[in-house]
Formats: sequence, C-alpha cells, structure tokens
Amino acid sequence: MSKVSSPQAASLDLSVPDKSKKSLLNKIGFGFLYLILGVFAIIQIYPLVWLVFFSLKTNQEVFGMSPFSLPQDPQWANYTKAWTSGNIGLYFFNSVWITILSVALTLILASFVTFAVTRMSWKFSGLVLGLFLVAYMIPLHSTLIPLFNMYNSMNLIDSPVSIVLSYTAFNLPLTIMILLGFYQAFPREIEEAAVMDGCSIHRIFFQITLPMTVPVLSTTGIINMIYNWNEFVFVNTFISSDKWKTLTVGINNFVGQYLTDWGAIGATLVISIVPILLAFLFLSDKIVEGMAAGSVKG
Amino acid sequence: MKKVMSNKFVIALYTLPALFLILALIYIPIVLSGYYGLMDWDGIGQMTFIGLDNYVTLIQDKVFWTSTWHSLLLAIFSTASLLLYLAISLVLASKIKGSDLLRKIYLIPMLLSSVAIAQLWMKIFDPTNGMANKLLEMFGVENTPVWLADPAIALFAIFIPVIWQYAGFYILIYYAALKNVPDEVIEAAKIDGASALQMAFKIKLPLISGIFKVTVMLAVVGSLKYFDLIYVMTGGGPNGASEVIASYMYKEAFKLNNFGYGSAIGFGLLVLCLVMTWLTSKLTKSKDDVQ
Amino acid sequence: MSLALTGGLILGGCSSSSSDESSEASGDKTVVKMMHLWPEGSSNAQYTIVDDIIKTYEKENPDVDIQTEILGNEQYKEKIKVLSASNELPDVGITWAAGYMKPFVEGEMFAPLDDIAQKDKFVAGTLDAFSFDEKTYALPLELNITPVYYNKEIFKKYNLEAPKTYDEFLKVVKTLTDNKVTPITLGNKDRWTGSMWYMYLADRIGGPEVLNNAINRSGSFEDPALVKAAEEVKNLVDMGAFVKGFNGLSNDEAKGYFMNEQAAMYMMATWELPNYTTSPDVAQEFKDKVGYFKFPTYEGGKGNADSYVGGPGVGLFVSEQSKVKEEAKEFVSYLVEEWGKRSVVDAGVIPATFVDTNNAELHPMYIDILKDLENATNLTLYADVQMSAKVADVHLNQIQSLFGGESTPKQFTKAQEDALAAEK
Repeated sequence: MSKVSSPQAASLDLSVPDKSKKSLLNKIGFGFLYLILGVFAIIQIYPLVWLVFFSLKTNQEVFGMSPFSLPQDPQWANYTKAWTSGNIGLYFFNSVWITILSVALTLILASFVTFAVTRMSWKFSGLVLGLFLVAYMIPLHSTLIPLFNMYNSMNLIDSPVSIVLSYTAFNLPLTIMILLGFYQAFPREIEEAAVMDGCSIHRIFFQITLPMTVPVLSTTGIINMIYNWNEFVFVNTFISSDKWKTLTVGINNFVGQYLTDWGAIGATLVISIVPILLAFLFLSDKIVEGMAAGSVKG
Repeated sequence: MKKVMSNKFVIALYTLPALFLILALIYIPIVLSGYYGLMDWDGIGQMTFIGLDNYVTLIQDKVFWTSTWHSLLLAIFSTASLLLYLAISLVLASKIKGSDLLRKIYLIPMLLSSVAIAQLWMKIFDPTNGMANKLLEMFGVENTPVWLADPAIALFAIFIPVIWQYAGFYILIYYAALKNVPDEVIEAAKIDGASALQMAFKIKLPLISGIFKVTVMLAVVGSLKYFDLIYVMTGGGPNGASEVIASYMYKEAFKLNNFGYGSAIGFGLLVLCLVMTWLTSKLTKSKDDVQ
Repeated sequence: MSLALTGGLILGGCSSSSSDESSEASGDKTVVKMMHLWPEGSSNAQYTIVDDIIKTYEKENPDVDIQTEILGNEQYKEKIKVLSASNELPDVGITWAAGYMKPFVEGEMFAPLDDIAQKDKFVAGTLDAFSFDEKTYALPLELNITPVYYNKEIFKKYNLEAPKTYDEFLKVVKTLTDNKVTPITLGNKDRWTGSMWYMYLADRIGGPEVLNNAINRSGSFEDPALVKAAEEVKNLVDMGAFVKGFNGLSNDEAKGYFMNEQAAMYMMATWELPNYTTSPDVAQEFKDKVGYFKFPTYEGGKGNADSYVGGPGVGLFVSEQSKVKEEAKEFVSYLVEEWGKRSVVDAGVIPATFVDTNNAELHPMYIDILKDLENATNLTLYADVQMSAKVADVHLNQIQSLFGGESTPKQFTKAQEDALAAEK
C-alpha cells in the first residue's frame, strides 16, 4: 500500500518553510504522492467515461471490442430511443420525488432518534440503538415476500407509499449509525448552555443541533440519495403500473427475453446519472461549508 | 437540567416514529422469515410445518458453510480496504492543492448503479478482449487467467469490483469525519510543533475513532449480506466457487422453489451478522482501551 | 418539514385510492390483468404484436379491458415468484414448460385450459410439455429448435464445409484451432448453453430416448451412451474447441464473439434468427455470412440428424384464482391464434401452432428452418426445463464442472443419477 507517500507529503502541510536539504526529497515525495493520487483519480473517473462511450455504441460494438475503443459511429439514436420508448420522462419524475421525499424523511427521523439516544438520558437508549443496529442485518430478499403480503393487505401495492416507507425504514439503521458517530464527537457545551438558558428541547434540536450537523446530514443525504435513486428490487416487486415506476425499472425496458439492447441501456444509465451527479456536486460542498457555520454560534 | 433531558414525552416523540417503521417493515419480516424457515414450502403451494428440520439441514449443509466462508473472506478484505480508504481520506482532508477536485472525482463511482458496474467489470475481465488481460499481455504474460471462469480465482476476482464499489462510500464518511475535527485542535497541535504523522495518529485518528468503529461494523455486516455484483457477474459460479450466503439464499428461495429452506438461510445470515458484530465490537473495544 | 411529509403521504395515499377508482370506473368493463415479458424497448416486435392483438380484441369486445404489466425477463420471473407466494397472480401470464410450471400446477395456481386448446393446431409435443396428468395448463406461444450457426466466410477461408458427421466436425474444429481461430463460442456461465451441446451428443450417440428415460426414471443416467456423451464433451474441451474462459461468460457476452467474427460457430436456438436475417441493428454484411447446419451424426450412434434439441418456449397461463376466468380464457384463445398468424413474419418468432410456409415474405433462412422443422423426427425438450428445479440445478452445475474439467464423465453422470434417484 502507498503509505510511504503520506508522511512525506503531509509534512508539506505545515506552512513552516523548510529550506533544508530535505526540500528536494519533499518534492520527490510530493510528486510521487500526486502520481498515486492521479492514478487513483483515473481509476475512479474511467467508469463514467466508459459509460458514455458504451451508450454510444451499437449492440455489435458493445461486445468483443476493447474497452478502450471509441464508438465508431456515435449512436445518438440510443439516447432518443431511451428517451422516447417507454415513459422515461415519467420514470425520471418519479425517481426524483420518491428519492427526495424518502431521503428527507429518513434524515429527519434519524436525527430525532440519534438526538434522543445521545443527548437525552433514559434507560432504554441502548436497547433502542441496538434495535436499529440489528435491523441493519437483515438480508433484503428475506423481506420481499412478507412485505409484499403486508402491503397487499393494506392495499398499498402499486402505491408509491410502499416504496417511500420501505426506503425510509431500510435506510434508518445505516443513517442512524453514521449520525451516531458524529453526534458523539460534537461538544455538548452549547446545548447544555442552552438548557441552562431555559430553552426547550425542541428549540435546542432545531436551532442548535440540526444546524451543527449539516455536514453529516449532507454526507448521509448523499448516501441515501444514491441508494434510493439506484434501488430496484422494491420498485420491481411492489409497483406494477407504469405511472409509478422509477428510472431503474425503466432500464429493464431494454432487457429482452433473448436480446438486450445495451446501447439503449447505456443511454438510460447516463441519463439517470446526470441529476444525481449534479445533486452530489451540490451537496458535497455542503459537507465542508457546514463546518464553518456550525462552529460559530452565539 | 436532568429533568429536561429525561422528558419522557419528548423521548417518545422523537423515537417512536422511526421505531415504529423499523418494527413494522423490518422486524415483522425478520420474524416471518424465521417462521417460514420452519416450513417446507416451495413458495407457491401449501406450506407444511416441519419444525427445525431446515435449520438442522442448514447446519450440515456444506454449500452453506462454503458460502459463509466466502462471505467472511469478503468481510476481512473489506475491513482491510478501510485502511487504504482512511489513508486516502487523510491526504484528501489535508490542505494539499487539488484535494477538492480529487475528492469529487474519487466519489464518482458511488453514483453508478450496480448494473453499470457489473457491465464494466465483466468487460474488464473478458478473457480475450478485456482490459485486465490486455494489460497483462503488454507486460509479457503468456497464459492470462480466465478470471471469473477459473474456480480457483473467481472468488478473489469478484472481490475486486465489490470492494472497489464502496471506495467512495468510505472515503466520503472518513473525509466528513476528518473535516469535522475542530480547527482549534489542529491549530493548537501545529503550534505545539506536531508533525503531520503525529497529527494524524495522535490527534485526528483518535478523534474519529467512533466513526471508524461504525465503518468497520458497516463493512463487516455489509459484506456478509452482500448480493448484487456477485449474483450478476458470476451467479455464484463456477459451480459455487464464488457463492456467498445472500446469493445462495436467493437461489434456494427464488430459483429452486425451496422457499422454506431459503428463509432458514436468511435467518442464519442474521444470526451470523449478530455474532460477527459482537466479535467486531469486542475487537475494536480493545483498541479504545489502549488509549 | 412535517407539512411536506404529510403532504407527500396524502399525495401517495390519494393516488392509490384514485387508481382504485379508475379500475372501478372501468367497472362496467371486465378487467383482465395480463403480465408479459416483452418490453417495448427490447422486444419491440413481440410487444407490438401483443399490443395490436389487445387493441383489436378490445374493439371487438367493448366490455373487456385488458391491462398489461410488462417486465424484463429476469424481473418477470422474480416478480411471479413473489406474486404466487401471495396468491396474487395476474389473470393471464407467461410461463415456461415442464419442470418450471410443475409447482404451479401442483399448487393449483394455473387453470386447466383443455376447453380452449385446439389440439390439432399445435405442433406435436408442444402441448404435452405444458400438460400434466392429461390436462393442459398453458398454451405454448413459441417453438424453437437449435441448429449450429456458422460463419461461412471463415469456413471458406480454411476450405471447410458444414460438417455432416461428427468426425468431419472434429476435423473442422482441429483446422480452426491449428489456425488460431476460436472454433466455437459458448457462454457457459449461464450453464444451459453447455447443456445443449451435451444433449445433442447424448441424442446422437444413444438415440432420442436415452436422456428422457433417465429423467423420467425409466432408465438410468449412468447409461453408457450418456457417459460416452460426457466423454466427447471433455474431448472437445481438451481440443480447445471452445472460446477462452467460457465458464465465466454469459450467453450474451459469448454471442458477441460470434457477432464480431472472432468465433466461427455458435450453437443457439432459432430465437437468434432475427439477428442473422431481419434485424436492422445488425450489419447486412455480417448477416450474409451466416448459415447453419444440423448437429452432425455420430458414427455408430443411434440418433439421426433430424432430431433436435428444442421445444416450446413460453406459454400463456390463466390463473386458477382469477375472478374473470372465462373472459381470460377467451382472450388467451384469441391471442394464441392471432399470435400464430403474425409471429414469424412480424417478430421472427416461430409459434407452436402450425405455420403456413408458402408465405413468400419470409427470409430464406426461415423457410429452410421451417422445412427442417416439418421433417423433424424428434424434439427433445431442454434438460433443465424437463427436470424439477432442484435436479436441474444439479444438472447445470455438473455441466459447468464437466466443461471446466472438475467432474469426470463418470462423476458427471453419477451426480445426476443420484439427484434424480433421490427425488422420486
């Protein structure tokens, strides 16, 4: 592993200029570090580039050709096909609102719970936390049939409510665990001071704790968003009508009984990655931003 | 103050909605899963109660134990990979030039759905035209491996995309955690003359140890439950060489009309996760005590 | 924030009740729910045929409303599982034959369709694959046989001709390997692809009954012919006949090698025909190079060249629990008939009902295939479809092992004999 580079490069972080004979060594280490980082960056961005190329190939080109090969005749038609056959616009819209609603619900409920478990004192806080922890351990496919039966008896099959609720429930354990790690690191002095000042719990939560946790909320927000956006199994099982389907199911529109239209699938995948890429770029700045805002509190 | 902080009504208000959701949508299925495990059921016709037979069969099932071993191997490799991600995050979180851009780039694969990742890696592993073998050939390797087709290496080959898939996820968490370390603490350490190495090991890492422990647990449980890429890319093959618990469970329940037994496997997985979590927390606790 | 949440839930809740209303508003109409696996995007031809048929039917029967739910292949299978576990099968749906549908029949989920099955209209054997205890539980829509497709240009380059005997076939393979050309592409990650090769060898060596007898237990899987077939498979693998890494390639990936002319031969069912005949997505240049030959005969063997591995593809079922059984049955009957008229020309799919080959619009390869079909002496249904799911799994895993060199021919046959014996 490339641990060698870390200490050398990190020593450059100190803004104390060191003009000793070490500076050449530093530069080499620095260069080496950037080489490693650069290689890793290429590895990480390559899939996206590959995906775009993939979406522009014909079915025949997709197979057997080197993964480096450029499409010989960019099939923009794949994009028109992806957009017009089937209801991609509708699926897109559904993906968006279902994701936003589920993520919002998950973040707020998880914050409530983590706040209660870490800040308030009660006997069962450990037990409740344990319950969420264990909930993380269930394999997804074990829940399909029981959930289907449950939703069916409540007439929620083929309703987006089943999806939103399922996403929220299944993301709660993970979100709570991550929030927990961060909440434990936050100093309690500000909140304790607020209590002394006579603030109600609700005010403390909404006006102090939540703003302080914007970074971790952005982090878990990104994670939840990605999970919900790309989720497939629940939508496929609980939703039948076209009007409630999401993008991931829409991709399967191109998987045939004997023939798969890979170019169109590629195009759909690229289309579906654009909004989440934008949301991600926006939110990832918030991870750092929040810190500055949160620590200053009168 | 204690009174405010132990207001039962508020506690209930804050925890019940979430609790209710998981009890209804997760715990009921868990219980039902264990219940179905007591049945001989093909998922279609009638169920027949057979008591603990499925569970007894499970304990003696060689394939189950091989799959469990594979899942455990994945857990071990995943946890090891955490160290790499932590190192990367430490570098990213320091103020080197370009860390902002790099951070964004590093997280991009997180956005890809499993479908895309599976396709990409299957192409990379293609024995004749794939990038992996083409690279090896450039270095003069003659008999390039057949990756996913070779029972001896299929498991390790498939681990690569699975672990790589989560790089962004962990780097994101570690990065946020590291950024969360108050500036005052870092400044104070710098003034005290701490080198970067000391900074990392004596200050930053201990402060994020809580998060690190969480990620270890996520990695372990996540690996034990893992399904997606393995099922799509190898189907657990060749002949079970890359089978993991979740794929085995899926096959039994959904493909082989063995729903009762499949449920028992799922329940077994749950128990395994519990055991591993307990073990992991014991192991990571000792690291804490050293401080 | 809480307002947004309640708003969202109400929205979701309202919509679900309004969708109830809309199905009640068409309440004067009988609603027949149908699920199939031909999405508009990937299976446009089949999708269009079904869509047209539905529209025509609805016009002629204004009191019936047919609602469709369309899924991709794997997703369809998964969903049907969940639905059947909850007794929520659609009124009309797609099913596969024999071993796949047996649990459904035993669980009384499919309605008997003898009253609408016009036996003389179906190719011999196709209805039987969907029947149990003399009753028919689904009507077949597709019929496939499995030739070996080959690249005529590659053959010509090495002065090869389509082999008629197995010895000629082995010579072809050897010539190709000597010239560093991949003889056969095979996607054995999916396992059933390798099974077809085995089945043909079993048929040519031991005759058409030997495998069936082993499966239906009137014979044994350790029959010498079946062992010999496994030995021949091993021989082929050892010769380097198959593409590198076949056990890790899916059928789709393997197909690519043939389509890119990196492999000379590809054994696959006739559902591939559109790729070599009518499909606009494939270059005409390539299509012109493709021909096919029947699996060669084996010296001293009991099988002949007109015996095929193949059989019916998917069929339509009517749910036993359906509240609109009679209407569903009527629709199915209509669909099967209309489908039969259009499927070859419009979708390149051979139906299970008899097709009039005097249609000049057909691509020559189709006409040849259909003629061969008429002269077929036997159709052996795919082994993994004939067997029950559990035994099929053993069979398929063994196929991977045999091809991969992990199981010897004797171990291969023994494992399956044991599995079959354990069942009954």
